[in-house]
This record gives sequence, C-alpha cells and structure tokens, in this order.
Amino acid sequence: MGFLSVLIFLPLLAALVMLLLPKSAAASAKYLALAATIAQLLLSGYLYIHFDTVQAGVNNIDSFQYVEQLSWIRLQIGSDKLLEIDYLLGLDGLSLPLIVLSAVVMLMAVGSSWNITKSVKGYFALLMLLNTAVMGVFCALDFFLFYVFYEVMLLPLYFLIGIWGGVRREYAAVKFFIYTLLGSVFMLLVIVGLYFSVTNPATGANTFNMLHMMNPANYGEESFFGWVRNFHEIFGIPARLLGFAILFIAFAIKVPIVPLHTWLPDAHVEAPTPISIILAGILLKVGGYGILRICIGIFPDMAALSNWWLGLIGVISILYGGFNALAQKDLKRLIAYSSVSHMGFVLLGIATLTTEGISGAMFQMISHGFLSAALFFLVGVIYDRVHDRDIYNFRGLASHMPRYTVFVAIAFFASLGLPGFSAFIGEAFVIIGAFNSESVGTGLPRWMAVGGSIGILLSAVYFLWTLQRMFFGQTRFKGGEAWATALTDLTLREQIILYPALALAIILGIMPSLVFTPLNESVMRIVSVVSSFL
Amino acid sequence: MYEFAPQITPIIDHIIDSVRSFRPELAISIAFIGTIFCSLFIDKYWKQSSFSSFLIGIVAAGYLTYTQNVENLPVFFDMLRVDSFSQYARIIILFGVAIIGLYIQQYGSYQLPKKRLGDIYAILLATTLGLHLLTLTTHWIMAFIAVEMVSIGSYVLVAYFAQNKKESEAAMKYVLFGSTCAAFMLYGLSLLYGFTGSLDFTSIAQMKGMIAAPTILSTLALLFVFVGIGFKLGFVPFHVWTPDVYEGAPTPITAFLATVPKVGAIVLFSRLILAWTASPFYFGEVTLHFLCFVAIVTMLIGNLVALRQQNIKRLMAYSSVGHTGFLLLAVLSYVHHEPEVLFFYLSTYILMNLAVFGFIMILEKQTGSANLPDYSGQGKRFPILFTALTFAGISLVGLPPTSGFVAKLLVFTSIFDLYQTVDQSLYLYLLIVGVLTSVISLFYYLKIPMYGFLRQTTPSKPADGVATNSHIVYGFALFFTLLLLLFGLFPDLLLDFFRQP
Repeated sequence: MGFLSVLIFLPLLAALVMLLLPKSAAASAKYLALAATIAQLLLSGYLYIHFDTVQAGVNNIDSFQYVEQLSWIRLQIGSDKLLEIDYLLGLDGLSLPLIVLSAVVMLMAVGSSWNITKSVKGYFALLMLLNTAVMGVFCALDFFLFYVFYEVMLLPLYFLIGIWGGVRREYAAVKFFIYTLLGSVFMLLVIVGLYFSVTNPATGANTFNMLHMMNPANYGEESFFGWVRNFHEIFGIPARLLGFAILFIAFAIKVPIVPLHTWLPDAHVEAPTPISIILAGILLKVGGYGILRICIGIFPDMAALSNWWLGLIGVISILYGGFNALAQKDLKRLIAYSSVSHMGFVLLGIATLTTEGISGAMFQMISHGFLSAALFFLVGVIYDRVHDRDIYNFRGLASHMPRYTVFVAIAFFASLGLPGFSAFIGEAFVIIGAFNSESVGTGLPRWMAVGGSIGILLSAVYFLWTLQRMFFGQTRFKGGEAWATALTDLTLREQIILYPALALAIILGIMPSLVFTPLNESVMRIVSVVSSFL
Repeated sequence: MYEFAPQITPIIDHIIDSVRSFRPELAISIAFIGTIFCSLFIDKYWKQSSFSSFLIGIVAAGYLTYTQNVENLPVFFDMLRVDSFSQYARIIILFGVAIIGLYIQQYGSYQLPKKRLGDIYAILLATTLGLHLLTLTTHWIMAFIAVEMVSIGSYVLVAYFAQNKKESEAAMKYVLFGSTCAAFMLYGLSLLYGFTGSLDFTSIAQMKGMIAAPTILSTLALLFVFVGIGFKLGFVPFHVWTPDVYEGAPTPITAFLATVPKVGAIVLFSRLILAWTASPFYFGEVTLHFLCFVAIVTMLIGNLVALRQQNIKRLMAYSSVGHTGFLLLAVLSYVHHEPEVLFFYLSTYILMNLAVFGFIMILEKQTGSANLPDYSGQGKRFPILFTALTFAGISLVGLPPTSGFVAKLLVFTSIFDLYQTVDQSLYLYLLIVGVLTSVISLFYYLKIPMYGFLRQTTPSKPADGVATNSHIVYGFALFFTLLLLLFGLFPDLLLDFFRQP
C-alpha cells in the first residue's frame, strides 16, 4: 500500500466502519468522517511537501511520483488480443494541487455537515464513498480505473442530492445523473476504441494505460485511433477528431460548458450546502482535469486543431454565465451561474495552449475550488437560519450580521478577481495567455481575451450589486421579527470552516508560486507536446 | 429386413456409447421420476422429500456435466452435440434452476392456501431436461421438441399457483401465444425441410438446399423459425407476452422465466447464427441483418416501455426484454469466436435477475405489493435490502464497479472489434443504441431507490418484522449481489472458468 492507496481508501474504510456502527452510536459517524478527512488532509500535505517539482509527469511514467502499479485484470479477448488493465496510480503537477484542494474541500464539507440530523450514518458513509471516488479519479493513470472511479462518483451524489436535498431534489438528482452518464457512456466507447488501438510496447498487449495512449508510437498502424495512415471515418468525421470531441463533451458536461450546463443550477439549488460545496469545489474540477489530462494528453493533435472552438465555448460560458448570474434572484442560483462563468476561464485558459494560459486555468480551478466552496457555505449560513435565500428578501444584513458580512465581502471581492486574491491570478494568467496566443501562434484571436475581461467586469457587477442589495441600507427582512432573531451571526464552527478557505484565497493571491511551482514542469510538458502539432 | 441385420450391432454400440454422453440428462430424468414418486408416496411422511430429490438430481446432473468428456463426439446419430459450449450453458442452467427451486420451496412455505409442491419440482426438472436438449442440438426436430418441452413446462409453472383471475389470465395468454409461435416455427421448419431435405442446420445438405431454394420463400421460412425462438427469448415483436405473464406469475416463477429459458434459447440461436453467417450466401446476410435489426429494436422498445412501468415485476419484464437485445449483441461476439463473453454476460444476467427477484419476493411478502409506489420510504425499514437492490439495479444498467459493467464492456469490445475488421456501419449503430439504451435504463432502475429512499413513507401496515423462512432467499440474494461486486472487480475469476478448453 502506497500513500495514494491510503489516501483513496481511507474514507472507504471509514464508510465501512460507519455502516457497522450500532444505531445508538450513529452520531459518532461524523467524528469518523472528520478523522478520515483530517488524516487525508495531513497526508496530502505530506505529499505536497515531499513533491519533487522538477519532475514533469504528464506522459512519462518515470517522472510521476508516488507511483503504484499492480496488475489488475488480464483478459484474453478473442484469439490474439490480451487486455491489460492495471491498478496504476501516480501524481504529477496536474493532479497534486487538485488532490490537496479535494482534501481541503472535503474537510470543509464534513465541517458544514455537522448539523445533519437525517440518517446521519448513511449520509456520512455516502460522503466518504464520494471522497474515495474523487481521490481515485485524480490519482488514476489507467483509463479503466479512472472510468470506474468516475462513475462511482455518480451514485453517492445522486443519493446525497436526492435524499438530503431541497424541494425538487428528485428532479435535480436524476437530471444530474443522466447528464453525466450520457457523457460518460459514450466515453466508454472511445475507451474501447483506444484500447484496441494502443499496445503496451513492453508486453505487446492492448492496454488501458493512459500514458501509453499518449505516445503516438504505441498506436498500431491503421488502428482505429491510430496516428499513421488512419482512414477511419464515422459519419464523415475522422475517427481521432470524433474521439476527441466525445471525450471533450463528456468532461465538458462536468465543467460545465454553456449549452450543457443546465444540470448545474438545479443540482446546486436543490443540493444541501455540503454537497453544493463538493459539487462546486471538486466535481467541476474533474471536468477541467479530464480535459487537460485526457483530451489534450491523448489527442494533442486534435486539441491543436480545435482549440479555437474550445476558446469560443470558454468565452461563451464566461459571458453567458455572467449575464445569467446578473438576472438571478436566488442567491444560490447566482453563485451557481457565477461558477459557470468562472469555469469558462478554465476552458479558455486550456484552449490557449500556452504555458501562461494552462497554468492560469489550473490556478483558476484551485482558486475557484475553495472560493466557491466558501460562497456556497455562506449561502448555507443564511439558508440554515431562515430557509430562504431570495436576494430581495434580505436587506441591510451588514448591521445585523457584521461578522457574516465581512466574510461575504471578502469572498465576493476575492471571487470577482480583485488583485491580491487568488482568483485574480488565475483569471489574469488566462487572459495573458489568450492575448499571447495570437503572437505565439496557437490561434486564439485577441477578442477572446477581451471577452474574458468583460466576464471579470460582469462578475464585479453581479457580486457588488448583490452586496449592495442584501447587505447595505436599512435592515429589513421579509420574515420580519422572526427572521431578525433567527439570523444570528456566525458561530465559531462556521468561522473555523471559513477561515482556511479565505486565508488560502489571500495566501495564494500573494504567493501564487505555491501552486505554480509544482505545476510548472507538467504544464510545460503539455505545451511542448501540443505545440509540435500546431 | 435381413440386409439391416449386420448393421444392428454397430447401431446398438453407437447408442450405448451415446448414452455415456447423456448421463447428466439421464440423471435429470431419474430425478424427475424420483420426484414424482416422492411427491406421491413420501411427502406425506417427510415434507421435503420431493425437494430433496429435486436438489439431488440437479446437483448430480451438475457434477456429471462438469466432469463430462466434451470431445464433440457424435451422440445419437448427430442429434446431439456434446461440446464445451453446451457444457458451460448447462452448468449455468443447472445453477439457475437449483436456485429457483429453492425460491419456490421458500415461496411455497408461506404461500396461502398451501399447495403441494412436489409436482412443481418434477415439472421444473422436465423443463430443465428440455433446456439441456436445447443447448445440445443442431437438429431442428430436436430443437423443436426441446422448445416445446420448455414451453409446456413453463405454462404449467405459470398456472400452478394461479388463484385469481389475473394469474389465470397470464397463464392463458402465455399458452395461447406460445402455441401460436410454436405452430409458426413448425411451419417454417416444414418449409425448410421441404427445400433442403435436411434437418440439421449445420449440415451441408441444408446449406445447399437453401442456396437452391427460392429466396423469398426460404427467407419466409427462416422468419417463421425465428418466431419460435423469438418467443422463448422474448425479443421484439414476440415480447408482448412477457409483461403480463411476468406480472401475473408468482415471483419465483417469474425469476425462472426471466433467466434460464433464455440461456437455452440463446445457445440454440448462437449455433444457428454461427452456422449461417459463416456462409457467404444470402441467408447468412438475412440472418445477420435480422439479428442486428431485432437487437436494436428490442433494446429500444424494452428500455423505453420500461420507463412507464410502476409495477416492479412488469418493470423487470421490460428490463429483461431490453437485456435480450443486449444478449443478441453478445451472440455476435460468440460469432466472433469469443464464447466466454457470451457466457460472462449470461451468467451476470442470471445473477442479477436472481438477486433482484429474490429481493422482490421478500418485498412482496413484507409489503404485500409489487407496485413501486408502495415501496415509498421502505428503504428506512429495509436499508440493507434496498441498498443491495440498488446495487443490483446499477449492475443491470451496467455501471462500474459491478459485473454488469464488465459484461457490457466486453460485449462492446467484441462488437467494436467486429466493426473494425468488417467495417459495417451496422455494428456502429448497434454500439450507439446499446450505449444509449444503457442511459435510458438508468431512469427506471433508479425508480427503485427513488421510491425506497427518496420518497417519504406512506402510512401503511405496521411492520411485522422479517418473517421466518425468507431469510434463506434473502441470504442468497445478498450473496449474488456480493458476487456481482466481486466479478465486477475481478472478472478474471469467472472468465477463466469459461475459458478452460
């Protein structure tokens, strides 16, 4: 058992122990969950500190760190084909920051679940199962293993939204499930195609190893996704382009990009606060991570071909998400749409195919990870108290809940990209990348960078306007006196959960190298791989 | 008369030799007689005697099948074909039948009014014999006899416990539909025999005859034959009996109908497809196109109609129709010389269904209903049961980490390989429809946890605790669910078994 296996399966172990707890001890499930997530955070911190930042990873197994490889499934398929599936884990600059982020956000989620009373055991067990799946997705380097973890994420989320969610929880849960599954089953077909095309040079067997899939030399000549002499077309589209598109759509649903984003507002609004935190903080990042690691890693030629479209989708997501956020009356919906807008930056950054842009995209994912977690937690604070989160039902909260207002103000300013906060770094690098793209020759026009800047402007508008509408002016609540007494200021527990997230936003805003240093080599490797196809 | 005399000795020798390859079936036949004897004379003194005789027979047949010499010897003048393909199929069948026998025994122990169960085991054994023959033969007459043995046995099984109008109606529908299909099949067979003069569908004589016969007529004859097989398999458009019969029949019988007969029929169908698609002539193409078309339509209709079902047994009926479509895809992988893929899918399918129907039996007993809305909030009362049922549902959808996922992945892999080598867009459509229907199926399998966990409890009868006797069924169903997880994580365990030469 290496570090990563412990990291992945520790929560699963905790979940199993929880299920064995007698009914009388059900309340101790949350302590178990807390212990497991704290242990995970410590472990991920250890991994971060001992991470060798000179190693690039990406497409070379030797430069991955904490690698674990076990032979898992060996199937003889047909007469001449051997199917090779490994239990293969490893970290590089792309996955390490996301592992740390996941550990932080999971801890926040457990902290914010403290007041759950409905079937506590089941709730925390599902949360821990989800935790296992998320960690597994970020560590897996075998496509089969990745897919297993990727799908295992869905079911706990379905239940967490469906059982502990709001009024329309059934609808939201099913919609979320179906959307993601629709993307991922087609991904399965691409996986099958890839596996047929790629052989492990050492054994000659067909393999699910992602790193082998990234090496053009491992593709059979004239194989379905092969590089050399590939005449395969499906419905008139070249096979490699179609494979790239299907994988991209599967992950883009998670990100989410604009035409495929409609599950997100519903899921967020109906989900309980901790699940919103996990959704926004971690699961959206699975999409961005998948696009970087898998779409671009395995199909760099197609990424170079289609990055103009990816950039366009990114810009549309930024602007559309921003305008929609402006129009929302429900605070949680507003933040959900702001997520769409902010994740658009990730896509735009990836599409630039420049070091600045991709680094910015990764940074934006990290920064948005804990900022959106903090935002959703803050919404949860007032929703817990009065079960309402309509912006117009609150006014003058600043004088009524001063502490809360301070936290909200910091989170809002950090999110809208004020210099000194982490979101600024991420968005600035993405826009720098987009501006440079034309001169470096990766083909994104400058107006996309302008579009991104307008997105930042929009985020300032909706965040500040919300601040003005809800927090300033004469104190007045829809619920009158009852609400005024219910709306108490932040408790110590809530502050403890919020401090680290906002502290991280400031620390990373001042010292972005904390993320950039481990990231840099890996990003440069990706860029160098892709640039040979431009 | 006299000129035959010198041949009598070799003929008798051959028959005696053949009997050696027929031992599993003989064991079943002996158990059949023994079970009738027990139910007539011994059940009065020891209630479980007929069940014991049934179980001993199945286990003996299983042992004999497992140790059987499968060197593809000519058995009974080529009427039977004892090969490893049928060996695995028969092991799966015997496994399924043993479990269903157990379910029936448990069902009978709490079913009111009490009815003698001795006969039903005998019928189950006779049906098993028919299924065995179905997997063993390439001869049309034998196949027809086997199909009829299975059908008649199934009619009796469905009608055996019938108490109310609905159950009798189900049995009646089943009989009428089944006899019509059998008549069609027989007519098709007579046409085939007329054209070819041969009744073995792997024989060269039949191939030659088919080539010579007028295309339209022999195509028609083929389609008639497929009607008979289609009825047993339950693919569209011969699926219309399934929902009513599944709903009306007692749950263990439904479990039977949903599982083992499909194994027998799919084995026969696979042999047929393999024999004919190998030939470059029109009927090979007709069969292949028919197979692909039927697979697509069956997957679509089965899964789409299942969306509207509120009764869990009806839902499982349409789910089994959808899975039949998928099984037809698996047949293609057999044609692709990967029988282990077909067997993996079949055994996974049987495990899933046995688990789900086991849970349904318990739920039916506890709540007195098979309607999903009546399970609202029952997840709190039976958390383990509903978790396991959800897991089995996930396996039916084909999501990891279940063996349903591996089964679907293997089938996709196989079809994809076919697509690559043959490059027919037909296979691509099969893949796309297979994938899409998996997503559709998620909707209705999710109904089970949706009602169980998401919906609130409806005011219902007070819980009477987990009743006695059902814990054996419960234990088995849970065990099968665990197996689904185990084979999902380590498919080698099962695949290696099917890969032994």
